[in-house]
This record gives sequence, structure tokens and C-alpha cells, in this order.
Amino acid sequence: MAMKNVKNVHFWQVDNKIKNIIQVPGNVILPSAQAWRKFNWVKKYFDKEPKEGYFIWIKKQVDSPLATCINIASPKASQNLTNLMVVEKGIKVKSNVICSAIGNNLCGSHRARGKLILKSGSSLEYNHFHQWGQNDFVSPDYEFILEKNSRLIYNYKNSFPPKNLLLKTIIQSGEGSSSNLNLVINSLNSKVGILENVNLSGLNSQAVMKLRLVGRENSQTEAVSVISAKSPSRGHLDCQGLVVSPKAKMSLTPRLICQNKDAQLTHEASIGKISEEELTYLRMRGLTEKEAINLIVAGFLKT
Amino acid sequence: MKKVLLKIESLWSKGDSGEILRGINLKLGPGETQALLGPNASGKSTLAQVILGNPKYKIIRGKIYFLGKDITRFSPERRAKLGMALVWQMPPTIKGVKLSALLEKISKEKIETTEGEELLEREINVDFSGGERKISEILQTIALKPRLVIFDEVDSGLDIKKIETVAKIIKRELISRKIAILIITHSGQILKFLKPAFTNVLVKGRIICKEKNYKKILKVIAKYGYEKCKKCPFLAGRQ
Repeated sequence: MAMKNVKNVHFWQVDNKIKNIIQVPGNVILPSAQAWRKFNWVKKYFDKEPKEGYFIWIKKQVDSPLATCINIASPKASQNLTNLMVVEKGIKVKSNVICSAIGNNLCGSHRARGKLILKSGSSLEYNHFHQWGQNDFVSPDYEFILEKNSRLIYNYKNSFPPKNLLLKTIIQSGEGSSSNLNLVINSLNSKVGILENVNLSGLNSQAVMKLRLVGRENSQTEAVSVISAKSPSRGHLDCQGLVVSPKAKMSLTPRLICQNKDAQLTHEASIGKISEEELTYLRMRGLTEKEAINLIVAGFLKT
Repeated sequence: MKKVLLKIESLWSKGDSGEILRGINLKLGPGETQALLGPNASGKSTLAQVILGNPKYKIIRGKIYFLGKDITRFSPERRAKLGMALVWQMPPTIKGVKLSALLEKISKEKIETTEGEELLEREINVDFSGGERKISEILQTIALKPRLVIFDEVDSGLDIKKIETVAKIIKRELISRKIAILIITHSGQILKFLKPAFTNVLVKGRIICKEKNYKKILKVIAKYGYEKCKKCPFLAGRQ
């Protein structure tokens, strides 16, 4: 997904250069390195002094979505971002995050470590869009810390995965918090590794994790999704894969770990192929085989 | 000489379980309505799927012509582009795809109809009732601007009121526009509303009877079942 007007995004970085930052009144948007120097309290959220990345501190209600855009535009560009977002108590915010390569063959590298803190009663809808070139290496590693009664909706969509994608997500769920994860990845020739981990450590915390993965061409997809409950809580895993091409490989591992007798954890998982009957049906409506597959895949990713 | 839209010559076809169609001969003119009756497992639905080019069925021998072209080896999409359409008896569900999205993709022009408006924003055939499925199928068919529509068991699972409604739509949207129709039916209930020019009887993969008066055939079947058809001295090809 391309940002329509990139100049209006609140944090815009191309390769290793920050192109633009737009402040939102009452809130703070800074390069991570600057935040490290300016605010002592942020140091506990970083392992070491960050070199690049963004710091977004939402202290005041923002009515329109916050937008960040990280691009790779030069051949062999290498990014190593450390991002931090803090949503203060009771604030509700929506954030659109776009990470993409401008070209299809730049052989870039995009590593991002992010920490997102949702203070008590806050709410975050985090829409994360990835679009990469066929030879890029991408490794996002995000940790969401959900304090009491906070709400998270995390939508990750990758319609153009890179050569290598390693996606790690950890959610620490505090008391009464809820999280909803939706991962959609449509792999062509990529090697995709996914590790999702939700820790339901808070009383009455809830999580629903939904994966929709499509394997096309020579793609290899391996996903491990874990929900572990340490307190009375509820979690559900829904992992569905669709293998479209004969050479594509996919492995889904849903894992439930229950350490509390009052926790309720459930899962459903399946890997299937495109039904010949559906394909024939759409071809009898005049769609070519390729058009029919694309329509079925698009539908599957929306379910 | 009378024009022929669809012509099937000595068609033999097999599925996974063996031979299903055993020498089908059928002719249909432009704008003509014909019916095809037959008992369960006689090959009615297979014939519909074979005419539309379902790759699941292999053609052993014989030919299918449409608009004078030999389409025996054409892909389903090529047949659809030529103007052939099938209303499925049990269409598959396409999860996550709204009916409106499919109609937009396949429509040659915007469809003006009030029937089925409530289905447009629903996923194709997901939790559709029997009647809703038929309406959805007919909407898709109209969108294709076909020359020939084959209805596979369009009256099955519908009460008589619904059958009448479906027949009215077929008459208004297709028959009145001179689109040829082949109605495949087990019960024959819809025929009184559509009044086919010819009614064919298919038994064990062969069309054994072709008759102008559909009432006569329905009467015989109602009284004696399809067993009587098998013994009829006017078997197709022997007349």
C-alpha cells in the first residue's frame, strides 16, 4: 500500500535519512536517538542507545490517525530501527504504519525493533502495512505491553513480502486488557518466518490471534503462534493457510500453554488448497484461471 | 434450414467413476427453450458440466458445437465468453468475496434488477437459502449477457410459489430477450411456467426421447416413472 501523500505523514524516513516530522499539538514525535537524550524515563524501554527509528508519545487525544512511513529507496540500503510508542492513560489512537521498498530489486535490509506501551485504559489500532521488493530482507520485532484495561487491535498486512521475512510479535497482556491480532501475508517467492507470542498474564485478559497466510510460487512459510495463560483469561488462535502452487510449502504450529485452571484457550488451524470446484465455477463465469485464483485468494485473506 | 445454436453429436464422457454420458445427441436453436428430464444419476448434471467445459469430466468421443464452432476442447472461460452460462444446482461458496464484487468483474454492463439486491453485499453463496442461491445464480447469468443458459435443477428445493417467481424472472430476463434455455429438471415442476418447445428424456447417459408435448412426458413419468420411458417404442433414434 502506497501512502498517497507522504508529505503529510508524521514521521517519514527514507533509507537512513529522516525526511520529515510533523508534530501533533500536545504530543511528541522525535527520532528515537533524540528521545533517548531528552527523556530519561524512556531509557528503560531501550536495550541500548538507539541509532535510528522513531519515538511517539501520545499524551493528548488525536482525532485523525497518526501516520509513519519508512521507505527503502536506494540499492542495498540497510535500516536498523528502534521504535517506541507510548499511549498515555485513557487515550484512544489509530496509527497507520507503512514500511516499503520503492523499487522491486533494491536488495535492501529493514530491521525494526519496536516497543509499544499502552497505558491503562488506552486503546490503539495499529495498522501495519508492508510492501517489499523481491530481494529485500525484512525483520520486524515488536513487543506490545498492555497495561490494565487497555485495548489493542493489530492489523499486519503484507501483500508483497520480501525475499526473507522474519516477523516476531510479543504481546504482554495486563489485567482486563484485550488484544486482537490479524496477520495477512500473501507470499510469492518468499521465505517467511512468523513467531507470535501472547502472554495472558493479567486477570481476565483476552486475546484473539488470526492468521491468514497464502503460499504461492516457491514460497516457504513457517508460522508458530503461541498463547500462554498464567491467570484466568481467554485466548483464541485461528490460523488458516492456503497453498496455491505445487512448490509452495507451509507449516503452521498453533500452541496453547495453560498455567491456570480458570483460563480458557482454544484454537483452530488448517492448511488447504484452492477448491477445483470453486475454480471451475468462476471460470464458467468468464474469469481466467489466474483471475479466479486471485479472486479466491483475495477472498480468503478477508475471511 | 433451421439455425442451430448448440449441437451435440454422439458425445461420450466419463468422470472418476466411469462412463456417464453414452452417445448424447442434442440440438438447440437460438432463443429456443428445451427441457431435459431424467431420473437421479442419469447424467443430467454431468451433461450440463460437460457442455460448459468442466475439466473434471473427460470427453471420450463426440463433438460439441456452439455457434457453428467446434468447442469440444475449449476452456470454460472461453465458452462463457462465447455466450454459454450455467445456473448451478449446488454452487460452491466463495468465502470473503461479495456477490457485488464478482458481478462487477463479470458484467458486460450494469444490471438493472430489483431481485437479489439484498444479496449483493453478502459473500457468494455463504449461508444462502435455496431460493437465494437461485436468484444469485440468475443474477450472475444475466450479467454474462449469454446466448444460452442451462439451468441445472432450478426447481429443486423450492416450493411452488418460489418456482413461479424464478420462472417469471427467467421469462422476463432471458426468454423474452430471445436467449436459448435448456432446463434440466428431475421433477419437471417448472415446465408448466416455461413451456418448452421440446422435452428430452435422459436415462443412463442417453437421450431416449424427444417430445414436443412436455405434458405428455410428465404424465407418463408421473404414472409409471422413468421405467416406462425405457420401454417406450418411440425411443429417440428409433422413431
